Amino acid sequence: MFGSFLKTSQVKSPWLMHFDCGSCNGCDIETLACLTPVYDVERFGVINVGNPRHADVLVVTGTVNQRNAVILKNIYDQMPTPKLVIAIGACGCSGGVFREAPNVLGGIDKVIPVDVYVPGCPAKPEAIMDAVVVGLGKLKGILEASK
Amino acid sequence: MNLNTFSLALAGLVLAPLLGGVVAGVDRVVTARLQSRLGPPLLQPFYDVGKLWSKVIAPASHWQGLFVRWALAASLASDVLLAAGGDVLMCFFVQAASASFVALGAFCGSSPYSKLGAQRELFQLLAYEPVFMVAILCLAKAAGGFDALSIMAAQGPLLFKLPLLVPGLVFVVLVKLRKSPFDIAASHHMHQEVVRGVYTDYAGRDFALLEIAHWADVTVVLWICSFLWATGPVQMLVTGLVFLFAAVVIDNISARLTWRTMLGRVAPITLILATANLVWLYLE
Amino acid sequence: MIDVYIGLLVLWPVAAGLASLGQRSPATRAALVMATAAVLAAAAVGLATQAPLTASPAFLASATALHVAQAAAFLFPAFFLFQGLKEKHALVIVFALMQLALAAFGEFGLAAPAAVQTAVAVDGLALALVLVVSLVGSLICIFALPYMKHHEEHLHLQTSRQPQFFMILLAFLGFMNGLALSNDLHVFSAFYEATTLCSFLLIGHDQTAEAKQSGLRALWMNSMGGVFLHAGILLIQKQHGLADIQALVNPALWSGMSLLPLALLAVAGCVKAAQLPFQAWLLGAMVAPTPVSALLHSSTMVKVGVFLCLRLAPVFEGTTTGRILTLAGAMTFLGASALALGQSNAKKILAYSTAANLGLIIACAGLGTPLAIAAGTVLLVIHAATKGLLFLCVGDMEQAIGSRDLEDLRAVIAKTPVTALAAVAGSMAMILPPLGMLVGKWAVLEAAAASPVPVVVIAMVMMAVGSALGVVCWVRFSGTLMSGVAVGPQPAHTSPLSTGLTTGPILTLLAGAVGLGMAAPWLNALLLGQGNPLAGGWGLLPPLFIVAMLGWIIGLKVLGRQSQARLATPYLGGLPQAQPGSYVGPLGRNWTLSEGNEYATEFFGEPKLTRLAGIVALALLLALVGGALL
Repeated sequence: MFGSFLKTSQVKSPWLMHFDCGSCNGCDIETLACLTPVYDVERFGVINVGNPRHADVLVVTGTVNQRNAVILKNIYDQMPTPKLVIAIGACGCSGGVFREAPNVLGGIDKVIPVDVYVPGCPAKPEAIMDAVVVGLGKLKGILEASK
Repeated sequence: MNLNTFSLALAGLVLAPLLGGVVAGVDRVVTARLQSRLGPPLLQPFYDVGKLWSKVIAPASHWQGLFVRWALAASLASDVLLAAGGDVLMCFFVQAASASFVALGAFCGSSPYSKLGAQRELFQLLAYEPVFMVAILCLAKAAGGFDALSIMAAQGPLLFKLPLLVPGLVFVVLVKLRKSPFDIAASHHMHQEVVRGVYTDYAGRDFALLEIAHWADVTVVLWICSFLWATGPVQMLVTGLVFLFAAVVIDNISARLTWRTMLGRVAPITLILATANLVWLYLE
Repeated sequence: MIDVYIGLLVLWPVAAGLASLGQRSPATRAALVMATAAVLAAAAVGLATQAPLTASPAFLASATALHVAQAAAFLFPAFFLFQGLKEKHALVIVFALMQLALAAFGEFGLAAPAAVQTAVAVDGLALALVLVVSLVGSLICIFALPYMKHHEEHLHLQTSRQPQFFMILLAFLGFMNGLALSNDLHVFSAFYEATTLCSFLLIGHDQTAEAKQSGLRALWMNSMGGVFLHAGILLIQKQHGLADIQALVNPALWSGMSLLPLALLAVAGCVKAAQLPFQAWLLGAMVAPTPVSALLHSSTMVKVGVFLCLRLAPVFEGTTTGRILTLAGAMTFLGASALALGQSNAKKILAYSTAANLGLIIACAGLGTPLAIAAGTVLLVIHAATKGLLFLCVGDMEQAIGSRDLEDLRAVIAKTPVTALAAVAGSMAMILPPLGMLVGKWAVLEAAAASPVPVVVIAMVMMAVGSALGVVCWVRFSGTLMSGVAVGPQPAHTSPLSTGLTTGPILTLLAGAVGLGMAAPWLNALLLGQGNPLAGGWGLLPPLFIVAMLGWIIGLKVLGRQSQARLATPYLGGLPQAQPGSYVGPLGRNWTLSEGNEYATEFFGEPKLTRLAGIVALALLLALVGGALL
């Protein structure tokens, strides 16, 4: 019983850490909108945390450039395992309109492995919530495969 | 120690943290409803702890695991003491030990936020401990004994003898539940200057255990508050819930204060009120 | 046999001290100190097995001994006067003259008191002090051997001054034992003055300007205490014709009489115990080598003051004088705890904390109920072991890193792990249940709560605040020592003192502090005999010990597992770290990190708080004497 409770808990309490990699703030506002009464992601146990050591899901918006790639990698490394990464918006997925800029590396997946991509410019809150659910499904799969 | 005391102690050991977890769930649901949200399931805090339990992460210090276990042991011991009808003052000291261990573990961490949180945790301790201790002295004086059993056996509600204790106890509840305006050491929400303060470096299973210790603490504090109307179990439960609700409402309508305001204004005022009540009890 | 024990306890250290004066060879000196420690420990334990007892050994009871004590009443003030004239210190001169005048009045103006029944009376309290002096004091003397060697190397002295140093150090222990054991007020006061003299010489030992000044400050303050002591003794002699301490501490004797003499003795005790506003001499004592401050703070000197007050405590029960004394003690507990919190100088923290804890013991004495006296005695013993340990640890760390500032001691656990952990354990022993200091505090609060008077309520609130201040102070102290290693450079450094002679006493005291703390209930039963109120009231402590033990075992297991683990990189707002003490920031450079404690000086700043608390405490002491006068 204890074991199955622990397994259920894994997908019932995703704590998000939101990292703005250089977004125009469009996707950031949509991400925070998920917390408002209209969308209320806390229904699914989601908490927005500010500390990678407590985070389960890394939500990244914006393009990766030379400067913030190190920080993105560092935050990812500091998170406990198992962990999920969700890339949000056109910039997060691929670099968007900035992908050809000289200082831009591209999407998040140039630096860290990404589990779920959320397209859109900006991405819609519904899409972001859906990404978390899809990500948790992936996590469940990983957990079951590892058992 | 007879069998009855033993079973009470055992019940305290098991039920008190569970009760604290439910309290945390109620808190989150009520907070959500106050913000016209649906909020998480009632058992969400248990899921959170269950998840943290399975997380794998390198510790921030070799010492934190030790201090987390000691904090948990002290918190549970204070529960057991209270449940078995033990000395409330000693229960308070044991709980203060738990808070000290949490702060010590945070000092051992490597992140500056953790140490900043530890400093603030200590200032919080400094602010609420005296008024809490005076409140316990008041309760003991009004009821005629320091042990929980004789306080619970007091004739009639103690609230009418101890009205000036209420602001002090609300202050203690706010601090111990880490609620705004006194969530100074471990901010509840993200995007604040202390990150997660005293909790920053605790992670994974250590953090889960710390959360359980926190539940146990919450139960003890609300339990002691409920001594104000200890004419029966239901009345005590209601009194505890009233204090909890007051804390949740204040949390939702107030912004965070600085530790200077807490230490320089709030703590002295509540302490003076509680002292006045104590002097009054002795003059009667 | 008992006379032999007492003789060894009092005379052996003095003789060994005199013998060490002629010894230039460090090995012989070390042998003498070790032998003294062994003899004292054996004799104290031997005495403990026989207690409670009364005895009249010749060297304390004979007519010659009494003549020596009478002569001492003139000789000590005369020496103080000489020092005062030599250093042109007005206060020393004034108080020495007053002492001389009082001695002359006592000798020629008053009838001799009735002879004492027994010269020595060993009860729980006396035994507690003897054990503290003989065990803790001896350990500190052993610690002094390597410490002084290093200390003198540091000072580049031409000729070693260690013979004199160890003479005074050892003799001090003998005088303290004599003071604890003697039942005659005049013999007691002779030993009292002897301890004043020893502390003056020890504090001034380094002969720097600062040391001299601190020594003179200790001298004038303690001779002022001496004036109060002599005045009190003479009043007792006039009122009752008595000098027998055991006969004096009888509440029936004092019913309906002014407690003025006892109030004067209590003030003398407060001066010796460095209570506010007299804490300055104890703070000044920090300039002396660490063994001296450890000895003065933990096992000797200051313990004289609380011993005197606890001795008189039964008379204070339920009296106004006693209640004011409780308030004064609680005031020092509060004020000194607050002062300790605002300090970053580790030795000052210890000094203020000493004054605070002694204030708590004096508050116990003022309450005077059996429960309070029991709590006070337990506090006296455990405080000695714990504070002795902390002083030795700070001294060792100071020699290792060359600073006694808490900010410099940050993360010292990486450099001197054994000493730092011992210091952490010592500071935990000051505040954690179920250890002795906390249990004592708890017992005082419950004893005070039983008092029917609202005045005591104020004392209780002061104790509550002081207790919180103490917890914060010690957690921050140990937290700073154990601080994580992300910040600050970590040069490889080993303590120059890592010898068996340094770690030996530290570890013994550590075991003593924790062991005694754990054993507080049984200790109490041993010291105060059956039927004392604490013996029955400890019912909830054994379960707490079990919890503590379980926590200890589980915690150590986890520690063992985690100590193998690779540590996470510190969270620095997401910035990576290339090496400890810095983060990789703009321009890809390493930027230095620094951190410090918040000392909240706007609340706990020394100048303002000293003045404020000093005025209140002085007013209380004046009320103590004035109230008894009326």
